[in-house]
Amino acid sequence: MRVPVIKDELFVNNYNEATQNPAHLADWQLFKQSYQIAETMKIASFNKLVAPKFLPHMEFLPHQLACAENVIQKMNGRALLADEVGLGKTIEAGLILKEYLLRGLVQKVLILVPASLVNQWVLELNQKFLIPAASSGKRVSWQDANILITTLDTAKLAKHRDTILEQNYDLVIVDEAHKLKNHKTKNFQFVQQLSKKYCLLLTATPVQNKLTDIFNLISLLKPGYLGTYEDFINNYREQKRKIDEDPYLKQLISKVMVRNRRSDTGVHWTSRKIKTVWVSFSEEEMNAYSKIEHFFKQKTALSTITYLREFCSSREACYLSMKKWLQENEATEDPDAIEVLETIEQLPNHAKALKLVEIVKQSKEKMIVFTEYRATQIYLQWLLHQEKIPTVIYRGGFKKGKKDWMRQLFQNQAQVMIATEAAGEGINLQFCHHLVNYDLPWNPMRLEQRIGRIHRFGQENDVIIYNFATKQTMEENVMNLLYTKIQLFENVIGQLDQILTDLNVQDLEKEVEQIFLESKSLGETKIKLDNLTSVIQSYQHNTPSKEHIL
Amino acid sequence: MITNLHSFLHQYFTVHDCKVITENDTEMTIQLTRDLDQVLMNRPFYWHYMDKIGRQGEPLSLELDTNTEKKDNNKEWIHYGSPRLQQIFQHIKQQARYTMLYEEKDSLNKSALLPWLVTNLKVQYAGSQKKEDIYSIGLQLINGSIVSNMMNQIESIALQRVMSDYSYTISPIIRPISGFNRIFQFVEDQLLDQNWQWAIESEKLLQEELKLVEYFFDKQEDNQDILNKEKERLHERLQPKIIIEIINAGLFYLKEETTQSIINKART
Repeated sequence: MRVPVIKDELFVNNYNEATQNPAHLADWQLFKQSYQIAETMKIASFNKLVAPKFLPHMEFLPHQLACAENVIQKMNGRALLADEVGLGKTIEAGLILKEYLLRGLVQKVLILVPASLVNQWVLELNQKFLIPAASSGKRVSWQDANILITTLDTAKLAKHRDTILEQNYDLVIVDEAHKLKNHKTKNFQFVQQLSKKYCLLLTATPVQNKLTDIFNLISLLKPGYLGTYEDFINNYREQKRKIDEDPYLKQLISKVMVRNRRSDTGVHWTSRKIKTVWVSFSEEEMNAYSKIEHFFKQKTALSTITYLREFCSSREACYLSMKKWLQENEATEDPDAIEVLETIEQLPNHAKALKLVEIVKQSKEKMIVFTEYRATQIYLQWLLHQEKIPTVIYRGGFKKGKKDWMRQLFQNQAQVMIATEAAGEGINLQFCHHLVNYDLPWNPMRLEQRIGRIHRFGQENDVIIYNFATKQTMEENVMNLLYTKIQLFENVIGQLDQILTDLNVQDLEKEVEQIFLESKSLGETKIKLDNLTSVIQSYQHNTPSKEHIL
Repeated sequence: MITNLHSFLHQYFTVHDCKVITENDTEMTIQLTRDLDQVLMNRPFYWHYMDKIGRQGEPLSLELDTNTEKKDNNKEWIHYGSPRLQQIFQHIKQQARYTMLYEEKDSLNKSALLPWLVTNLKVQYAGSQKKEDIYSIGLQLINGSIVSNMMNQIESIALQRVMSDYSYTISPIIRPISGFNRIFQFVEDQLLDQNWQWAIESEKLLQEELKLVEYFFDKQEDNQDILNKEKERLHERLQPKIIIEIINAGLFYLKEETTQSIINKART
């Protein structure tokens, strides 16, 4: 076999000139040292990872090392990393990057991550992997900088876009890559156009759900691997095949995707302890609840459930959005409406909030409290402040500096962090092991993301999860039927996700909302929810779970 | 191989005239010289400013911890893979590319030194994976003898930048430039014996992947640009090639008896 041999002519050409100038000549000691360096840093074998040897302070888990080896040796550096939340995808990507850097196969790197994760990536690559990565600041030089971390939105900006597309990247990493699942989006097209030798796409959201999603992601990595879009759709969609039923497709995908589940990792995970905290509304609160229900059922069938959900969270949340609704519908003068608002105004502190104060005071541990509503967030902060409990708040909309600051305050000073949903992605709070679901999300993915903030690598304690629910409200139904029956908290989400896919349930949250909307009575709601969960449940029993971790 | 990083660093700093202020088995404090401060401390503005106002400036000191595990102290932890060590490695590599050295002698008899071209090379086998070999070749520039493992042979010989008194050199008959060609040829001949499986696999993979991208983009005429880019990157990534890089090289003038013993050892 003929393999081109490239010789170091440049060195030879410079030899005469260099040896004329004594300043260019090395001492014997240095000459020897340089040779020793080359021997020490030599890549001795095609397939053994060298990076761990150079990162003695890092303890890699077996599945992380296996992932890096697999990606480098079998997948040739183009892979979809789809581990479950909290198994260390960033670590795997960092390890792969480090290995390529050490092997001299990669120099120029572009890392695209959500804005909330930029700092964390910079920190982890620098501190854990000793990789001099920088975030793209105001005066970024795409040409000169070697390892840059930025957001897709920044990279796509007119003033950067063309320059970036002119660069030849040795490695492109995209975190939260499920944002690229649609091939018609600008994001997808941008990443497709990047000139890249190696490419890693990271996502925790199982992409098996939609075949087209996975087709698109794989087409970024290996165009043509699954054929053309049209071929693929014709083959798989029309026949309604699923990945699991098609061993050929499954095998193809396993050559570009690494997906570790907790149960595969062979690592001891601390367990989750679930505590359901039942709260009863006071008589006045129950009265207000009925009034709200009555009022909206008359006015609009559509959104009653929204206002009731809000009311179960806090007076403030419901009050504000009801006022907004009245203004939008020019009903501020409506005597019924005024009466409902007045009832809400006169209520004392919310029963759930008082329960929270009680638990926080008893436990004395750090707690992260998740609520769905900003108004509730502010109210809870005020209430805890009254009780002299130090808190910080956290929202997705915060600038990244503020997010880091809040995280630090929580770690060092505050007892409680009150977060809205948007806090879900991207911050790690392993130092805390108590979590309060003050309101329950109806989407199990979001629930898993919440828990994933604290139940991840580095968590040394059992994680205690408090689920709040108010009796005799819709929360009771959701809790009993949805959560308890299908054991949502105990099971890791992957399995449920698979079931929903198999059942062709696209969005559990919408499904539940639909049930509440379309049912004429509480009885009907119950029956429908019960049906839904029974189907899921029967499926669970039929497929022995590998992923049960309790 | 670097067998002891601590003494390796100690040597590096003393070769560069830095004073080791305090030291134990795993820690050292070094007073840098201005030169090394400029190389290692990354503060060009400071030195620029000092020059502007005509002041000497004060080089910093470095406190290093060479433990294999990070200790909780305020010292800078230095180990394989740490940016500081990379920086020092780079500095050494860049300084120690070329040399001209003479073997020391203490007798008062006049004696000749024979020219050797000592060349250290790194051979990279780059396909879908990568592996490296290191060669150290000595070429005697009078009679053309070639010796491998040259660095091991001369490791403990005392060599210096200036010739000792009463020594004289014999001029090379083979010019160093053509010496390099002989050395490249010698290394290439060695390559023929190796296992080519890595290259065969790489080439096969390249052809497979090329077919796939062409198939994928075939029906999308407006994507020819991306197609070409993808193909280019595939070649870069998978095309098997061998890169022979010279780590460093130099003209070494060695005593006749040294020369003889090296050649004898190589024969056995």
